[in-house]
Amino acid sequence: MASHRDMRFSKLALAAFCCLLVSNVVSVDRNNFRTCDQTSFCRRCRGVQPGSSPYQLNLDSLQTTASSVSAEVVNSALNVKFVFQLYSLADNTFRMKINEQSPLKPRHEVNFVLNGEPNYVRLEVTEKTSEKAVVKSGDNKVEIFANPFRVDVYRGPELLISTNARGLMRFEHLRTKPAPKPENPEGEEQAATQEPAANVDDTENDPGSWEENYKSHHDSKPNGPSAVALDFTFPGAEQAYGVPLHADFFALRNTKGIDPYRLFNLDVFEYELENGMSLYGAIPVLYAHGLKQSAGVFWLNTAETWIDIAKPDGENVVSSIVNLVSGSGQEPQVDAHFMSESGIMDVFFFLGPKPLDVFRQYSSLTGTAPLPPLFSLGYHQCRWNYNDEDDVRNVALGFDEHDIPMDVMWLDIEHTDGKKYFTWDPIKFAHPTEMINNLTAMGRKLVVIVDPHIKRDGQYFLHQDAEANGYYVKNKDGNDYEGWCWPGSVSYLDFFNPVVRDYYASRYLLSNFAGSTLDMHIWNDMNEPSVFNGPEVTMLKDNIHYGGLEHRDVHNMYGFMQHMSTFEGMLKRSEGKLRPFILTRSFFAGSQRYSAMWTGDNLADWGHMRMSVPMCLTMAVSGYSFCGADIGGFFKYPDAELFARWYQLGAFLPFYRAHSIIESKRREPWLYNPETTDIVRQAIRRRYNYLSLWYTLFYEHSRFSTPVILPLYALYPKDKDVFAVDNEFLVGDVLLVHPVTTSQASEVQVLFPGENERWYEIETFQMFRGRSTVSVPVDMSKIPVYQRGGTIVPRLERVRRSTALMHSDPYTLVVALDDNGFAKGTLYIDDGESYKYKSNEYLYIQFEFSNKTLKAKFIDKKAHFASKAWIERVVILGLNKKLTSDPVVKSKSVGEQTLKSSSDDGFNVVVVRKPGVSVTEEWTLTFSF
Amino acid sequence: MRTACMAKSPIPIFASWCQSWQVAGDRQRIQCLFLVLVVQLYPASSAPEIIRPRGVSISKASLYDPEKEFKCFDGSRTLPFSMVNDDYCDCPDASDEPGTSACPAGLFHCTNAGHLPLNIPSSRVNDGICDCCDGTDEYASSAGCENTCLEQGRSARAAALRRAELSKQGNELRLQLIRQGKQQKADKKIRLEQLQRDREEAARIKQEKESLKSTAEDLEKAALEKYRQAAEEERAKHSSTAQEEQEAFEQFQRLDSDHDGFIRISDLQTRQTFDKDKNGEVSEEEARYFMEHDELDWSTFYAEAWPKMKPYIMMEKGLFTPPSTPHPSIDVPGENAEEFPADNGEDEEEEEEDNAETTDVPDVEGEASEVTEEPPQYDENTQNLIEEARKARTEFEEADRSLRDVDREIRDIEDGLGKDFGEEEEFATLQGQCFEFTDREYTYRMCPFDQVTQTPKNGGASTRLGSWGRWSGNPKYSTMLFENGQGCWNGPQRTATVNLVCGLENKLTSASEPNRCEYLFEFSTPAVCLADSSDDNHHDEL
Repeated sequence: MASHRDMRFSKLALAAFCCLLVSNVVSVDRNNFRTCDQTSFCRRCRGVQPGSSPYQLNLDSLQTTASSVSAEVVNSALNVKFVFQLYSLADNTFRMKINEQSPLKPRHEVNFVLNGEPNYVRLEVTEKTSEKAVVKSGDNKVEIFANPFRVDVYRGPELLISTNARGLMRFEHLRTKPAPKPENPEGEEQAATQEPAANVDDTENDPGSWEENYKSHHDSKPNGPSAVALDFTFPGAEQAYGVPLHADFFALRNTKGIDPYRLFNLDVFEYELENGMSLYGAIPVLYAHGLKQSAGVFWLNTAETWIDIAKPDGENVVSSIVNLVSGSGQEPQVDAHFMSESGIMDVFFFLGPKPLDVFRQYSSLTGTAPLPPLFSLGYHQCRWNYNDEDDVRNVALGFDEHDIPMDVMWLDIEHTDGKKYFTWDPIKFAHPTEMINNLTAMGRKLVVIVDPHIKRDGQYFLHQDAEANGYYVKNKDGNDYEGWCWPGSVSYLDFFNPVVRDYYASRYLLSNFAGSTLDMHIWNDMNEPSVFNGPEVTMLKDNIHYGGLEHRDVHNMYGFMQHMSTFEGMLKRSEGKLRPFILTRSFFAGSQRYSAMWTGDNLADWGHMRMSVPMCLTMAVSGYSFCGADIGGFFKYPDAELFARWYQLGAFLPFYRAHSIIESKRREPWLYNPETTDIVRQAIRRRYNYLSLWYTLFYEHSRFSTPVILPLYALYPKDKDVFAVDNEFLVGDVLLVHPVTTSQASEVQVLFPGENERWYEIETFQMFRGRSTVSVPVDMSKIPVYQRGGTIVPRLERVRRSTALMHSDPYTLVVALDDNGFAKGTLYIDDGESYKYKSNEYLYIQFEFSNKTLKAKFIDKKAHFASKAWIERVVILGLNKKLTSDPVVKSKSVGEQTLKSSSDDGFNVVVVRKPGVSVTEEWTLTFSF
Repeated sequence: MRTACMAKSPIPIFASWCQSWQVAGDRQRIQCLFLVLVVQLYPASSAPEIIRPRGVSISKASLYDPEKEFKCFDGSRTLPFSMVNDDYCDCPDASDEPGTSACPAGLFHCTNAGHLPLNIPSSRVNDGICDCCDGTDEYASSAGCENTCLEQGRSARAAALRRAELSKQGNELRLQLIRQGKQQKADKKIRLEQLQRDREEAARIKQEKESLKSTAEDLEKAALEKYRQAAEEERAKHSSTAQEEQEAFEQFQRLDSDHDGFIRISDLQTRQTFDKDKNGEVSEEEARYFMEHDELDWSTFYAEAWPKMKPYIMMEKGLFTPPSTPHPSIDVPGENAEEFPADNGEDEEEEEEDNAETTDVPDVEGEASEVTEEPPQYDENTQNLIEEARKARTEFEEADRSLRDVDREIRDIEDGLGKDFGEEEEFATLQGQCFEFTDREYTYRMCPFDQVTQTPKNGGASTRLGSWGRWSGNPKYSTMLFENGQGCWNGPQRTATVNLVCGLENKLTSASEPNRCEYLFEFSTPAVCLADSSDDNHHDEL
């Protein structure tokens, strides 16, 4: 779906329905989005000068419980008091909260985002002097300094994170609005332009403290200034990552001289690449990594947030606080400065020590994504819009005619009756159930869009209910807020109201959503929320939610609240039996528990295709693996080369969906030329070849938090040269993918990481050694992908029309040996759609090759699943030893059998024919060499 | 019948197929089951000598000999026959697994006795979906396919019969169309020859009249010489009128693109000057504002059209500025102004009309002079010479007009003869006709060899979707392409593709827009009904 910028309403069309077109503006109009300097709280927070901090902790007030300490913090310049709390959490994690001791009114604390109450563990105060208190929890230590207030977090002897080391802390207490001063306007203007003196409270003088205008929009700011800001220093760190979503490199950039990274969920038209402008979603988690360790912070705040980053910049090493603290030599260091408009300071510290540990520590707080239904890992075909039921049928048939697998057809906003969600166009989509059943007959599904804005149409049941029951978000005067979106005049459901969430969830019940079936799933779009005529295309910050909550406090989780309700409804729809699939555009930390996401309205160009890798990598390490980009690009029309390359890349990102804007020419895979059709077919089939790998990785993600795709540094944390690599990535710890992202490429430089690591090309099985960089030739059919030595990957070689049709198919095991002749891998199997796996109806198999034997055994002995699937082939890579006799398979069902095998001359590739063992049994395959 | 067949079948041969692979029980059972099914497929009446493995067509049956080793079709490997259809892909060309899903690139052949045989990708074998009407592709799945071939075959044959009958009837109509088309062409050729002869005569007469005119005018001119001085003085007095007339005449000549002494609507449409709403094209309506008749000769032009045109011509030359109406600044502060401007392809027309209404015809400075010229007094001889010359001019003009008329008709016929009405002129009668189709929102009008338009049902201006381009089908005469339609806002020029299908009447049967600004129509016409287009590839293998 599209953002609205420069999409215009037609006077004519509006009379009946809304019709949209895109102007020829080439990209985002930056003038429509605020800079830090145009944002009063960001300007104030960023204006704080490093050095002396007025904040002091009163050590005498220190109180201890089993898992926490608390103390009073004072802003000595203003004599405002705050409460400091520190908690120790399981898995090398601390939590620090700072709030006003007695605010004028309660400050907002975030709900719903954490996956339940964190698991607190014991801590103790081991030392207390006039300068500091030392708190220990296991091997971890926190030193709390009194004056100026500073918190240093250690793992063992290593200082990982220092808070307020640069003294940028700023906590704007709530206050009453001063009486208007009888100053002349000139004086005011002077005040506005004056550079505030360092760290003096300039809040009163800031003209934006009590009200703010942007373009024609007015923000009344009834609560006045309320910003919170804090700096974090990571000694020894070389790079920082995280804080999605931005269309920027994987390794965050130094923001000195440019705007900070911004987190404020917005619908941005034709977004630009390589900058920190806000996009659709926000996850305020930041990782810092150095040669010695990884660490992270999670800034739990749902208000608008900006993040400044300072990091080693080539020769320009930032002044190191370690130098100040320990006096050691020049060390690299990353500084981060979080600035939020309101709320409290609620920070989690992750102490690693390794990248995967830090990712897990974050994930366990906000929850891992549940196992998605299998079909959602297949290929998705979307377009704004498939015109009618015939169109849907013909496109699906086209996939069969061209022998290209496809799992899901999607319908964008035009399927509705006049943009009224939960309805169908009475002429074009008059028989939705029949249409869905046609798809289901081939094992396919349908996804339809449901946006959070509600058409203000007196005949529309949803509007009638919402208006009558007060379900809409209110403006500052307490009336229903009205904005503009696809249907014209709309209001926005207030998902912060539990009654509204229940009501909304119930709309998804089969009895309420006429025409839907259990095979229809949901896409929540425009949920930043997008308001075409609002400031920065979103909602006014002084709007009011349920319980008097100001929109300012919760903006970044509006979308979260929508898909949380949608998930609830979809779950109820099947009486809790079937796993829902939901795609969302807007998200916050924790959204991964409910939905997949995609990178929004990208463009059909090479840059946007390339950028999908760092964007999804950042998402993956931020707990959100189910990420993809619109294949082919949403805006504009890709040429055949870009189109084909994008399909090749997309097959190796977790969410694989093609989508396009309504104006773009049709782009079904067979509409370019036969060569392109062949390449796209091959790309999509490869996705299905690895379907069980994806499914197993998603299962393991749900269970162990391991991201489904990984940056290189996650597995090679000591190799400084891979820290910033984002032109290649890993699928699990198994595949190395180096997509071709330039036009007319004849070769790419592939970096093979890992000393002594082996990498086997997945088609030719040619072996490459790490650590090296090799120029690899690439014709149009080639995307360089390698299986890591030491892994075993199950492949499905019998690709069918959809994932559902492949459930009984046999597996080929590709056993890629490492230098020690060892390899292992896993395979997860279940019914692909229900929650029965939670009652042990699944198979979780471990394959291990060592001592000349390949063994399959169940990791979870209690789990069972009736599957007809079997092992049809075993491929051993890198054996390089002559087999002295035929391999022998042994299992309950086949007994003991000698198998045929074949190989090349050097025994690089040994293929064992038809072991025939079932996936439901344990077995061994023994070699003689 | 089946019993008889099974009795004939050498079951023991198949027994060996059930061996040699070690898989859990139910697949083995399946393997044996399929052997039985294969056997069942042979009707007693036509039972061939060679037994085919599952998924093999009769034409390839001889390549699968259970008595011999199996050789992959590409010659790459030789296998024991037991490895044929054993659910493991051994041959790179998939030839060892015609009846299973083991080879990714394989094909499965369904005999579909009673209907058409079919080759399906191996990946559709046992995937739970009945792809073959005989159900043979799902021998080991839970799909429970029923054999529907007889039923499907019956209705397919009935449909084929209907098609054949349609083709036959249609072809008779087509032959009529061909006769008509050829007759039209022949008539045109004859007419053309006649016209070419007429033209010689007309040209001769014109030349003669021209010479007479020239003589008469010389005499007239000489006689008038004495009045010249006086006339010039008089003209000097009214120079402004003369200049005006001169300017008008020059304009007349410029507009008269084919120099035939008449200005037509099309002459105005080529001139941006008359694009009143500045939308880049001069519509017929716009042109009609300046000329109430289809043709203007010089005097009508000067009397009626010129006063209306002059302001626009002056405007174009920058000599005249219309009274400025104060309009608000476009840069309204804030972004509201940009949020909802009515700017949409669909209401362009509306805006055009708005603009047209607000563009008042300007006042022109120094309008038509009030001075009227008094005719000079001539002597009788001079009067006579003037009269002679006038007559000669009139006769010349008549002769000239006759020649132009002939030329015009020749041009029209040559244009027609230049158009491609099909190999046998079968489409010639469609020329000059138009056909309409109405859907939910629009009425579409397709005029073969001319243009396609779209008109909103609820009123509003027509949009030209394309002008006749060429035959673009494969075969050539199955598709008409209309190109260079009105440009889409922020997009390409519209095009319309018309697919021709056999039908007993000329009828536009569907309209759609599969791609933005690319329209697709179906047009049924007997002109494409070929007698031999009946379904002759329907043959039953058995």
